[in-house]
Amino acid sequence: MKFNDLLGGLVFLALSGLVAAASWSLPNPSEQPLGPSAFPLILSGLLALCAAILAINGARATQAGPLLGLADWARSGSALARLLLVPAAVIFYMLCAETLGFLICAPLILIVLFLAGGTRPLQAVGLSLAAALVIHSIFYLALGVQLPWGPLEPLRW
Amino acid sequence: MLDAYVTALGMVLDPYVLFVITASAIYGLVVGCIPGLSATMATALLVPLTFFMPPVPAIAAIVTTSTMAIFSGDIPGCLLRIPGTPASAAYVDDSYQMTLKGKPELALGIGLWFSVIGGLFGTAVMMVASPAIADFALGFGSVEFFWIVMLGLGGAVFIGSSTPLKACLSLLIGLLIAMIGMNNPAGQPRFTFDSTEMLGGVSLIPMMVGMFACSEVMRHMVSDGSAPHAVVQKIGPIFANMWRLTKQYPWQLIRGSALGTIIGIQPGSGADMAAWMSYAMSKRFSKEPEKFGTGHPEGLIEAGASNNSSLAGAWIPALVFGIPGDSITAIAIGVLMMKNMAPGPTIFVNNPENVYAVFLVFVIANLLMLPLGWAIIKVATRVLSVPRRVLMPIILLFAIVGSYAINNSLFDVGVMLAFGALAFVLEENDFPVAPVILGVVLGPLLEEYFINSMIKSDGRLIGLVDRPIAAVLAAITIGIIGWTILASLKSGKADKQPAQG
Repeated sequence: MKFNDLLGGLVFLALSGLVAAASWSLPNPSEQPLGPSAFPLILSGLLALCAAILAINGARATQAGPLLGLADWARSGSALARLLLVPAAVIFYMLCAETLGFLICAPLILIVLFLAGGTRPLQAVGLSLAAALVIHSIFYLALGVQLPWGPLEPLRW
Repeated sequence: MLDAYVTALGMVLDPYVLFVITASAIYGLVVGCIPGLSATMATALLVPLTFFMPPVPAIAAIVTTSTMAIFSGDIPGCLLRIPGTPASAAYVDDSYQMTLKGKPELALGIGLWFSVIGGLFGTAVMMVASPAIADFALGFGSVEFFWIVMLGLGGAVFIGSSTPLKACLSLLIGLLIAMIGMNNPAGQPRFTFDSTEMLGGVSLIPMMVGMFACSEVMRHMVSDGSAPHAVVQKIGPIFANMWRLTKQYPWQLIRGSALGTIIGIQPGSGADMAAWMSYAMSKRFSKEPEKFGTGHPEGLIEAGASNNSSLAGAWIPALVFGIPGDSITAIAIGVLMMKNMAPGPTIFVNNPENVYAVFLVFVIANLLMLPLGWAIIKVATRVLSVPRRVLMPIILLFAIVGSYAINNSLFDVGVMLAFGALAFVLEENDFPVAPVILGVVLGPLLEEYFINSMIKSDGRLIGLVDRPIAAVLAAITIGIIGWTILASLKSGKADKQPAQG
């Protein structure tokens, strides 16, 4: 996703407004002359200044192109799909790790990502099982991190 | 001091620490050698593991990994013309030409031998200079520290960056992220959106893993990802000729090491800038500048020594003031803080043995680079053929588990993803990512120093500059910022063509 500088500047300008608004309402229980809102207000002021310059530069640029352009890769559907696999994989882990357990969830994620990258199916299955076991051993056996077991609980080692 | 060094030596020579050093060395060498996996990524991925270690091995792991990865970034540059880390980009033409001429061992040997000497040079400067600077800085109050942090941030944004305005915006985003939570002088929850997870602020480790590992996985997904092939399969004796070259180009070696150390010390510029500047300087003063870029050893020697010496140099402000010079030292400072070893001049008084242990780790890491570097060069053609399409999914899984492991919290996994996406979008739009992490690490300190200084001076701004050292630091900071703004205005007028696309 490529933002034009004008659009980027406006987004940051809006952000600075939101920060300033949220900072104003912060309580100052100890009645200090510079309470918890002082520093965020200064930052939001600086952010507004930089954002305004960026927006003006963007508006001035003659060959600026569309407000929201697409990078070259985004024109190819497959690249975009592969990119979206990353957040999809992480969100899948967040939603399913507790119920499915690490040793089911992790190989599933790896198999999908391997196949998307063009690895041969059999190789993908073998690699994902091996990689998941190695990472599991590093964190569970060596570092004592309690990774969820899910339905494999009876197999816990 | 000697006592502290003896204690430190005992800490470093502990078998567990030596094991961590060796393992991180191999890890750093392999990751640095694979194109598309940067030294910063190698370091960030390691941070969740250091969380489970005592302070000294944790720092040793960070130091060793980054040192090794910066060297081994030379290997794919030489064999494939693809620099493994940005720091190797400056001299990739010369080293690749050597490979084409059938002398890859010469280019790799220079990379290894002169990286070690440069690294040891920078380490020596660090060992001598930082205790002295720390001693001087013991008398600093919040005002002086406020300006030192400002100088560090100003340097990062205005010197180390090609787009100061966008770097500035990145920095402000980082500083605002640092405001989240109750870690502020008033102890008031801010910008937490009423979420209990956010009360402690954004956790640093998932954030760093997201910004430097998850975002690189995303970038790989949209690249074509075809694995390049090395033109040579056989690499000859590596250390042959090195002694002759050392005697032939001693001045280049010293100049590169010295300039690299200075650039490292100066906040905001790291190994990449050191290599570029040293390569340019070598060419400028060379008797045969026309040979540069055609497989000439001179620039390789100077820039190869320079990028490794800058690593140690960057640790001087990091240890003495807690000011990171680049993203790797920012990560390291995050680890130090996590281990209750918050850097600053007092650490040299209270825990000198810990600081000296860091120094010794640098020495050991650089010496260890000779045998291990030799080994990685020998197997390099095989490491290079490991396809990235296999590595990247594994890295993503490692990032997920690493973020989760710190607090057993799936919320942190979400933080990792959010910052990965943020870093990806920022970089797509030419916003540098390093200032974000500097802002996050330094934000709480900057606010604390600012508020304390203002309270001391009853809210008058003159209180920020009415002490001599503070005034000098303020003048330098404002000078750097003003000079950059003037220069960009001038160049903007000189060519009316819009530079940004």
